[in-house]
Amino acid sequence: MKESPEPPSSLWANVFHRSCFAMNTRFSMVVVGIDAEKAEDLAISAERELCACEQLMSRFDPDSPVSELNRHAREKAVEPPQALWEILTLCRDYWKRTGGAFDITQWPLNCLWRSHLERCEEPAEEAIAEARQQTGMQYLDLDPIVHAVQFQRKGMSIDLGGFGKGFALERLANILRAQRVESAFLSFGESSITVLGSHPHGSNWPIGISNIFEPLQTVHTFHLQDASLSSSGTTPYNRMGRARLVGQIINPHTGCPIEGYRTLSVASHSAIEAEVLSTALLVTREEDRAALLSGFSAISAVEIVYHSQNGDFVPHFQWHYGL
Amino acid sequence: MDSESSPLSLSGLSGRAHRREFLKRIAVVAGSSSLLAELPWWSPLRAAPVGNSPADRVRLGIIGVGTRGTLHLAHLLRTPGVEVAALCDDYEPHLQAGLERVKGAKGFSDYRQMLEMPGLDGVVIATPLYLHARMCLDAFSAGKHVFCEKSLAYTIDECQAIADAYRGSRRVFQIGHQRLFSPSFLRAYEMVSNGEIGPVTQIRAYWHRNGDWRNPVPDPSLERRLNWRLYRAYSCGLMTELASHHMQVANWFLGMHPTSCVGFGSINFWKDGRELYDNVNVVYRYPNGTHVIYDSLISNRYYGCQIEIMGPKGTIEGETGRLFAENPPPAPGIVQLINGIEQGFFETVPVGGPSWVPDLKKDVRGRLLVAEKSSDDGTALSLAAFASAIRLGEPIAGMMEQACRSGVCVLMGQAAMEQQREIAWPEGFRE
Repeated sequence: MKESPEPPSSLWANVFHRSCFAMNTRFSMVVVGIDAEKAEDLAISAERELCACEQLMSRFDPDSPVSELNRHAREKAVEPPQALWEILTLCRDYWKRTGGAFDITQWPLNCLWRSHLERCEEPAEEAIAEARQQTGMQYLDLDPIVHAVQFQRKGMSIDLGGFGKGFALERLANILRAQRVESAFLSFGESSITVLGSHPHGSNWPIGISNIFEPLQTVHTFHLQDASLSSSGTTPYNRMGRARLVGQIINPHTGCPIEGYRTLSVASHSAIEAEVLSTALLVTREEDRAALLSGFSAISAVEIVYHSQNGDFVPHFQWHYGL
Repeated sequence: MDSESSPLSLSGLSGRAHRREFLKRIAVVAGSSSLLAELPWWSPLRAAPVGNSPADRVRLGIIGVGTRGTLHLAHLLRTPGVEVAALCDDYEPHLQAGLERVKGAKGFSDYRQMLEMPGLDGVVIATPLYLHARMCLDAFSAGKHVFCEKSLAYTIDECQAIADAYRGSRRVFQIGHQRLFSPSFLRAYEMVSNGEIGPVTQIRAYWHRNGDWRNPVPDPSLERRLNWRLYRAYSCGLMTELASHHMQVANWFLGMHPTSCVGFGSINFWKDGRELYDNVNVVYRYPNGTHVIYDSLISNRYYGCQIEIMGPKGTIEGETGRLFAENPPPAPGIVQLINGIEQGFFETVPVGGPSWVPDLKKDVRGRLLVAEKSSDDGTALSLAAFASAIRLGEPIAGMMEQACRSGVCVLMGQAAMEQQREIAWPEGFRE
């Protein structure tokens, strides 16, 4: 029998890339080692799945089941599609497991802070107190018998933004695995990343966390294999010529945004857990974080805080876990 | 007259301020790119500003003051250095309505009498399609400059006759294809010429409306006269009255005319006695293997009016003036990742961080081709160019070619549908 020829040296140069806009950010997919035609079909399947996730969870699409809940669940019990019901019960479980740190009902507080910070103001204590009355998973009734949802408080609104990206990444990874993809990199806006297998030229995917002030500089590297990485935090924000801090993450325990420039990144084998924990840990006191993580397995995490030094912001390892 | 509404949205300005602003806008558009400046039909617009001397004044007559003619009248009343000296319409109510808008203009019911009027430099023809050829030919014979509404003519032979008459006339000719003067289409043309979407591999255009496409008729005896677009003796309906615009853009962007076309049309909804199709579907074949797919219908408006110019790197939506990259660029870190894999590197790439959100809606909704969407679709500029070319005494190079190519294309499409066979570009046609 004739010996099969050596595989060409460009075997791993077979790289397919596709980016598109989805879930209010940019989705990128890099798949290695499959032919272009198959990759094209895969990209179509991925985009279809993204579309389905967005239709289910978007709070910006007025026809989505989430919008339906946000409009009507205060007046009456609403029965969402089964998929959304399962997502909401999962979110409640994570809310419990994180001691209330992961909470999908923070939207009213987010809006309050965003509108004030854009005017370089802070909201009044009374306004914060009022918004806090409208937030909290304890006010989200999930009827386990009929799978219905009702809001106990007026003004409540759910936002599945971050969770949705983790959810979509798990669905997409499953599609790729079903097609026997062995090496791939998926990213939502670079804050939510999932890798399949390992980098074609190494034993893992070395994913750097960018310095938020010097994006081409790596401040920490995670070595991922069949894993996900989620980063939450604050970003420098330039508007009207002034660099300002925008609190993207509200601490449900205080009703206020987290302070300072910081990024908390979590690696996990579950994209959803990485997503949940990057937000939850950011708003949890350092001394309480290990206890919170004791309920989760195979987690590694790092928090980078940027300190002002001679007019520059210098990254500093504030906290880490499982490294 | 100054209160006449203008698509240039300058109605709040005085006459002088209006003129100044008008010229400034022309200069801005004309000077925006060297490629655009080389387009021959822009040359008259780059001429020195119009002075106040009588020699600078261009005296025009409009033949046909129905819907389109009235719009041209409104533009011409605001075009620097233009005097609308005469109006002609054989439908008395239209003529009277037009004359009420222009003090001192002379009214005619027979265009041949208007052509004999002393001191008239040129005419704007905005009449039913079947009249275009004889009016153009008579106007050239009378030594007049001609602005003719699209589509050029009712038959291919008539298109040829107009082109031949023009060639010997040394007169200015312009066709009513305003996209040649639309800043957005000009920018699109520039991008396509620069290869920003790669070679054009397909053009798809459509014009969908939902309505019977009829004008109100005060007396049944006027039906054919006022609704000429529905009857074969006067028009080719959706092809000549709508498709000609997009076929002009397609031929312009591809830089050639098609070799043949096939198509199907029918009356499947507005079965009200009309003779012309209420839906048309034509595919044009070009020598380089590119196809232009055109369809139009008047029983559904959902997809509206659009021309999609497609290449391997992107899609341009002409009517909305947007560019959609085929593959939005990934983050710099992901570019580094891809390059690393391709070149055999195993290295950390700085890519993770707090969420990236689109800077602007442009990232999702496509990139606008021109920052400020002009309220003029090019019609005002095209009339200004016509007047300026007359003043300079210089014919507009390439304009008859544009008119012939689109004019012949739509007649080929109509013939393909009516004869249910492939129709070739007329051999020996001289543009």
